[in-house]
Amino acid sequence: MLNFATRQKKEISSAERKISTVLRYFEDIIKVPFFQCQHCGECLLSSTAFICCQRCPKRLRNGPCGGTGENGSCEVYPDRKCIWYRIYKRSKLIRRVPFLYSVKKIHNWNLEGSSAWLNVFTRRIDPPALFRPQPNEKDTNSQK
Amino acid sequence: MNFKEKLESDKFVICGELGPPQSANAEVIRKKSIHFKKRIDAVNITDNQTAIVRMSSIASAKILLDHQIEPIIQMTCRDRNRIAIQSDLLGAAGLGIHNVLCLTGDYQKFGNHPEAKPVFDMDSIQLVATLSNMNDGFFLSGDLIKTPPSFCIGAASNPFADPMEMRLIRLEKKISAGAHFIQTQPVFDLERFKEFMRCVVNSGLHEKIAILAGVMPVKSSNALLYMKKEVPGVRIDQSYISRLQTAKDPKEEGVRIAVEIIKEIQKIPGVRGLHLMPVMWESITPVVLEEAGL
Repeated sequence: MLNFATRQKKEISSAERKISTVLRYFEDIIKVPFFQCQHCGECLLSSTAFICCQRCPKRLRNGPCGGTGENGSCEVYPDRKCIWYRIYKRSKLIRRVPFLYSVKKIHNWNLEGSSAWLNVFTRRIDPPALFRPQPNEKDTNSQK
Repeated sequence: MNFKEKLESDKFVICGELGPPQSANAEVIRKKSIHFKKRIDAVNITDNQTAIVRMSSIASAKILLDHQIEPIIQMTCRDRNRIAIQSDLLGAAGLGIHNVLCLTGDYQKFGNHPEAKPVFDMDSIQLVATLSNMNDGFFLSGDLIKTPPSFCIGAASNPFADPMEMRLIRLEKKISAGAHFIQTQPVFDLERFKEFMRCVVNSGLHEKIAILAGVMPVKSSNALLYMKKEVPGVRIDQSYISRLQTAKDPKEEGVRIAVEIIKEIQKIPGVRGLHLMPVMWESITPVVLEEAGL
């Protein structure tokens, strides 16, 4: 069985919420101006070549929908570039394409608006892919 | 032999497509079902395509099932969250509908209710994984399903949207999430489709999944021009448009083009079948198949 659903490990306590609010203040100083963070609380930046994929109108976490235009335009707002088109281009540039192969978990909406740093620390979400082995060694079923 | 068994055999599979009516008239579906009696293995029922309200795809599928036609329901993530999706899927399985095509869904903006709230609780790959989890007997919560369904899981692929490498990554993800078959967007650019299939065959993906190529017979050049302008992620060869514009009888020419594309597709290695999707022109399905000698 593919373990891809984000399960609630234990209820988020009020203390955790308070720490999260404080931590998010510092997180936002970096993530909002540099990555236009959308505060999903389950940060994927490390595996999407440091472009926030939650800026997609459909908030897709696993790659583009079928509507990317010929020059990479978004289907919903044709004047914008598809965010996943940009992610792919930059992944290729900085050699992070293997990170795109893993199936991302379903978003846990309880974590919306919380600090992703705290969520990594409390093991609610996976740590950033920086410290992981290359996915093409680990993800055997998608690469073989 | 049901659709899943046909996919596992060496048979060249052919799927049709039916758009439910924008009314409560079930007679429309019964009338349309006549066109799928011969040679069609299963019929796709669209789920409010282009975000326009139509009869529910599961209800329409049940009507088809009563006429001994095997349906493939489309399930989009646009209108339902994970609770509604799982509940609808259990309902479909209970009614005897076992083929599901998992889609992310068109954005509301294109439909007749552009003010609606977009749901997109999950995407198509996660939906495929949800279905394969349910086949294994688990809900997304991890709870056990006492009588698990046995879905034949489909997914879509668009070989014509850029960049193509990303489409191959998505295809691999859908396979690893547990999809059994893939239906592609309509082929109007054979060169690009051949290139895509070459990449698929080179990486050996065609052995893990059945790929059904989409073919869309069109009535006139206006339909193609509309698609080129309005439908994102579609590539159309200019020669088809000019052929339809100069033809005396555009409908006949449209059928001829569809037959030509089908014959070319049959030669491409790795293609396991066809998905015929004449939009609101279901009556042409048997004609095209007869002309193509299928």
